[in-house]
Amino acid sequence: MMMSSSGKQSESEAASKAGAASIEDGVGGVQVTTFSELVDDVTLHFQIIRLPKQIFAWIGCNSAKFGDLYAAAPTRPSNSVSVASILGGASDNTGSGIARRLVIKTGLNVIVACNMPKNSPMLEANAEKKLVEKLIALGFSRPKSPGPGLSS
Amino acid sequence: MGGLEQRFPVPYKNLSLEIKGNRTDLVICRYDDHFLSSQVMATQIGTMGTILHARKEEGVSIQPTFHVSVIFGKRDEPMLLAIARQLIEQISSSASSLPLVLSLGLKDHSAETLKGIVSAVMENRLW
Repeated sequence: MMMSSSGKQSESEAASKAGAASIEDGVGGVQVTTFSELVDDVTLHFQIIRLPKQIFAWIGCNSAKFGDLYAAAPTRPSNSVSVASILGGASDNTGSGIARRLVIKTGLNVIVACNMPKNSPMLEANAEKKLVEKLIALGFSRPKSPGPGLSS
Repeated sequence: MGGLEQRFPVPYKNLSLEIKGNRTDLVICRYDDHFLSSQVMATQIGTMGTILHARKEEGVSIQPTFHVSVIFGKRDEPMLLAIARQLIEQISSSASSLPLVLSLGLKDHSAETLKGIVSAVMENRLW
C-alpha cells in the first residue's frame, strides 16, 4: 500500500490578529477558511471548505455544534435550485434557505451545516451576508455562461 | 459588529496523501457534538462525494452496536458503509462516542483503499 503524508496539520487560531481575522489554509485541491464575527450580541462562526466543484459551509451560532445538514444544487434544465435536508432539520429551517441562496449566487453545489435557531430572520440575513461577502472575497461569483461555477 | 480575537472553536486538520496511486485530500473537523471527516479525490471527483452518518447506539448490552447509513449519494456501494463502520468502531473504542459525518469521494472502492482511508483518519484524529 503506497501512502505518503505530504500535508500539514493546522489548527486555526485567530488569537493574535486584530479585527475580523480570517484563517485560510489550503492543501492540494481543498482550502479551508475560518472566521468569526460578533453580530448583535451573537457570535457567528463560519467554516468554508472549498473543493474544486463544491462548497461546504458550516455556520455556528454561539456554539460549535454541527447542526442540521442540507445539500443544494442547481437543477437543470430550468434555472431552479433544489434543496434537500440530509441530517436533522426540515425545509423551513434556517440552513435550507441559506443553502438555496448560496447556489443562486455561486452556481455551485453546496453543502451547508447550520445550527442557527429558526424564526430569526435578522440573524439569518446577517449570517448569510457575511458568508456571501467572504465567498466573493475568495473569488466565487455566478458564471455568466453555463459551465463550472468557479471563477477563481 | 466586529471581528473576534479568540480561538476558532472547531479544530480541524487539512492534509493530502496518496492512497493506491490516487491523490486524496483529507479534512477532519471536530464540532461540539459531531465529527466531520471529509475525504475528497481531488483529481477526478472534486466534490465531497457520498455522505454517510455513523453513530454508536445507546443500549444496555455490553457489546456496543453501531448504526451506519448513507444520507446522501451512492447507496449501492457496500465499501463506503464498511469504511464508516470501521471508523465509528475505532472512534468509539478510543473513548469518544460522538457521531461521525463522513464524506467519501472515491475513485475506487477496494479493500486497500479502505485500509488507507481508515489508517489515515486514525493517524490524524482529533480525539
